[in-house]
Amino acid sequence: MNRMRRHTSGIPLRLLIACTCVWALVAGLRGGWPAVAQTNDYVGTEKCVTCHDTEGKSLGRTLHGRAENPRSPAANQGCETCHGPGRAHVDSDGEADTTNGFTAMAPRDVSAICLTCHNRSNHTQWQGSPHDSRNLSCVTCHSVHSPKSSSAQLKTVTEIDTCASCHKPQAMKVKRAQHMPLVEGKMSCSSCHNPHGSTNVKQLKVGNYVNEACVSCHAEKRGPFLWEHAAGRESCVTCHDPHGSSNDRLLVAKLPMLCQRCHIGTRHPSTIYDATRVVPGAGTPSSRIYGRGCVNCHSNIHGSNHPSGHAFVR
Amino acid sequence: MRVRAILRTTPSLLAVAFLLTAAQARAQEVGALLNQIDFGVRGTDFHAGSDRARFERYKDLRSGGFLDRLRFGRQTDQWLFDLQADHVGYRDQRYAVGYNRFGKVKASFEWDQIPLFYGQNTSTLYADQGGGRLRIVNQAVPTGIQNGTLLMQNVKPLLGSPFELRQRRDTAAFSLVASIGRAVDVKVKLSSTHKQGEMPWGANLTFGGANEIAAPLDHRTNELGAGLEWANNRGMVRVGYDGSWFVNAIPTLVYDSPLRIADSATAGSSQGRTAMWPDSMANTVSAAAAYNLPRRSRVTGSVSIGNWSQDATLLPFTSFYISAFALDRSTTQADARITSFNVNLTSRPTDPTWFSVRARRYNYDNRTPPFNVTQYVRLDQQAASLPAGVNGSEPFGFVRNYFDVDASVTPVPFTSLKLGYGLEQVDRTFRLFESTTEHTFRSAIDTSRSQYVTARLAYEHSNRTGQGLDEEVLDDIGEQVSLRQFDISNRSRDRITFTTQVTPVSMVAVMLSAQAGRDTRPAGNFGLRKLDTNGYSIGFDVTPVETVGVGLTYTFEDAATEQKSRQANPGAQFNDPTRDWFTDVSEKAHYVVANVDLLKTFPKTDVRLAFDWNESYANYVYRLGPNSTLAAVTPLPKVYNQLRRVSADVKYSLTAHLVAGIVYWYDTYRVNDFAMSPGYVIGNQTLADGIMLGYVLQPYTVHAGWGRLTYLW
Repeated sequence: MNRMRRHTSGIPLRLLIACTCVWALVAGLRGGWPAVAQTNDYVGTEKCVTCHDTEGKSLGRTLHGRAENPRSPAANQGCETCHGPGRAHVDSDGEADTTNGFTAMAPRDVSAICLTCHNRSNHTQWQGSPHDSRNLSCVTCHSVHSPKSSSAQLKTVTEIDTCASCHKPQAMKVKRAQHMPLVEGKMSCSSCHNPHGSTNVKQLKVGNYVNEACVSCHAEKRGPFLWEHAAGRESCVTCHDPHGSSNDRLLVAKLPMLCQRCHIGTRHPSTIYDATRVVPGAGTPSSRIYGRGCVNCHSNIHGSNHPSGHAFVR
Repeated sequence: MRVRAILRTTPSLLAVAFLLTAAQARAQEVGALLNQIDFGVRGTDFHAGSDRARFERYKDLRSGGFLDRLRFGRQTDQWLFDLQADHVGYRDQRYAVGYNRFGKVKASFEWDQIPLFYGQNTSTLYADQGGGRLRIVNQAVPTGIQNGTLLMQNVKPLLGSPFELRQRRDTAAFSLVASIGRAVDVKVKLSSTHKQGEMPWGANLTFGGANEIAAPLDHRTNELGAGLEWANNRGMVRVGYDGSWFVNAIPTLVYDSPLRIADSATAGSSQGRTAMWPDSMANTVSAAAAYNLPRRSRVTGSVSIGNWSQDATLLPFTSFYISAFALDRSTTQADARITSFNVNLTSRPTDPTWFSVRARRYNYDNRTPPFNVTQYVRLDQQAASLPAGVNGSEPFGFVRNYFDVDASVTPVPFTSLKLGYGLEQVDRTFRLFESTTEHTFRSAIDTSRSQYVTARLAYEHSNRTGQGLDEEVLDDIGEQVSLRQFDISNRSRDRITFTTQVTPVSMVAVMLSAQAGRDTRPAGNFGLRKLDTNGYSIGFDVTPVETVGVGLTYTFEDAATEQKSRQANPGAQFNDPTRDWFTDVSEKAHYVVANVDLLKTFPKTDVRLAFDWNESYANYVYRLGPNSTLAAVTPLPKVYNQLRRVSADVKYSLTAHLVAGIVYWYDTYRVNDFAMSPGYVIGNQTLADGIMLGYVLQPYTVHAGWGRLTYLW
């Protein structure tokens, strides 16, 4: 019997463990950034741009070129911050394998270089993320020297074009008749997802479970409610396809068929509602199929706070 | 109004731009940003009967003057300033300003409006009296229906004048990141989102009838996020707080009954009352850390502790009469404690080997006390009892535990083979299964070996089984006990995806992707039993010369489901297999996206032509079981949606700073939807048992044109 069982969270113990971990980590992190090695292996940006003028200029127009920021490449070893010491490259008259050429490097080697600086905030979870596990690297999507997007230095003009290069079904679904405002430019893939990895499922940006991401915008459906609709609390995507749908309200199927996947009781939930219920003159119309279908009556389907709301009709 | 708003706003924006230009002149400029202001006139022409609301939906494309885009930026060695404005004066306007003092402070503010236009010709009996009170203006309707002189289906002429049904979401967001030295960031985020307007809402008063109203919306969500982050090349530590407060100005909706003007002890109430979304809040404190270990290994961990709660005052069981049964308590006392943690270890001990181990836990511990009740008032009409086995609310909660391990080898450079295993184990309260366990095995091959070919292939098999089956849960609420709710039912799932891009020469890229999936569930059970998905996409981009680009992509999707049900009244029918029936749903979608770009192919001229088309068919087919005793079914019409846009965007550079342009869209939408198209009963708007708003899916054909000037500096 699973009805009255309560999940104990053991918060104090976990808090203690967490604090201990943080303390241990802070102790381990002490020491800060190592001093930049000042060896003869570095030749300086001026030397690099004598041959790589285009790349040098393009870098100057981006945040990587802002020496005022002590975290930027420009404030450190310039080009050689990412590409490594250039002495051997210069001495060999530009031989390719004497420096870090990103197009010739293994994806995880590329990412490792980027992550020396981009190791905080929303990049923290890159290692082990779905994209990392499929051997993608930062330069799969981003271009340091010739970005096409107005932000995030992407290789395509728009973010959705970048994502669509692999995630075609999802990118196409946003064009369907029922969709969130992506094609209108009010949202983008990264409104919900963090492609660099996250603690949530499906690389969702906010929270630690699907619904936490959804209610970050749809807070009215957060609850908890007096009467809960278990399927909705289990996951919003039980009923909705957030990428787009042919059905009103982004539902994965039309009503009442969607509801009839779980409600097979007596009388109206399990009745066939065929064309006689919607085609004029064919029979008796039924509010279980026309318009909002079941939700014509069960309007508080996301949860009800009404004492008579156990069936979400109030 | 709109023109005034544009005229009011534009000088302000230009004045800010001018002042900042002057300020910038005192600073050393190191690089010019592309500043622009884009303005002109727009016109739209709809074919007769076109649905303007569906065309605009999340946009505001009314005819008239516009200032569509302002971009202004300045930067020096020390700072960058950025000002943006879009669709000034329209319902979808957006303003953003950002300042970045490199390495010290980054601040931004954004105001964004997202409209949602439901219908342009909706009509209703009701007038909004404010505070969630909807009154029927023409009392002749409930009077006539109550005394039998007016039939529901004849109410339509008495509905109010058509109005536009719309809502809007306005968001103000502020973000600040202050960097203290090289290692520490302090982050603050504030946002406030206000949603107002109306939405369609089912406000029924009789069992079986629909009464669709325009429910007023007026709620706000305020959010605060604060964090302190410390990172260096060894690792990272972050602590943070996130709070969210939802405030609803309309927590209760009260609406007159169209059926009767006065309460009747035998026939029911003259009004209905619904609890809308309650004020609620969420608070979370979190900590995260990462540490780099030897041998290219890294461990990351995070923990968060929070709660979601609301304690709204409970309404009485009904507005109709003082019920004989008292409330179990006066407020909801709803509270859920949410804890989660996530630990991840990744390592690349040698160049060709990599692995990742991740453990996660998410505990939604719903501590809301069960609301004890056995009787209630149905639809504000009559007292009723809950099913025999139900004694009150069931505060559903769950604990999800995940364990994932993935490993890959790279036998040859740029080609990796991956194998992985995932375990998801979920404990639940108040559901059919006490727990479910899902094992997932996954594999992938990814190659980006050459500049000519990139290919990615992945296969995944998973198997979910439930433990602690409690069919009483179903029996208590009158469901078939062999029903298996599809979100937690036993399931076998297979998924395969493939994508490749071939670039034989630098000017040609060919893309191909395909995917297939199958979910199967035990065949004998009621509910969703099968889901098949298939699809593919093929396309190319060609750039024969630098000034010409051509692209074409075709995508196809196919989804098919099977579900089983039984049409039965209580008693013998309930266990009669000859009353079984099935729904087979088949949905196919096609997409074509094409573009031709001619950029300076002709002197000073950029031409972009695009074609975007998608079409979907869904067929809902009822199938009766063997030896069926059910009446023959009449097939439902196919559901059909087709969206098409042909667009041309031409820009001509008059001078180095001034570009003239015209844009043309030809947009069409075709739809046939048995629930939402006006061709079916919903188009009548008033029926023998229902009154609808007239929010329907209607086709449109639109010509839209922009004449614009863009000034660049």
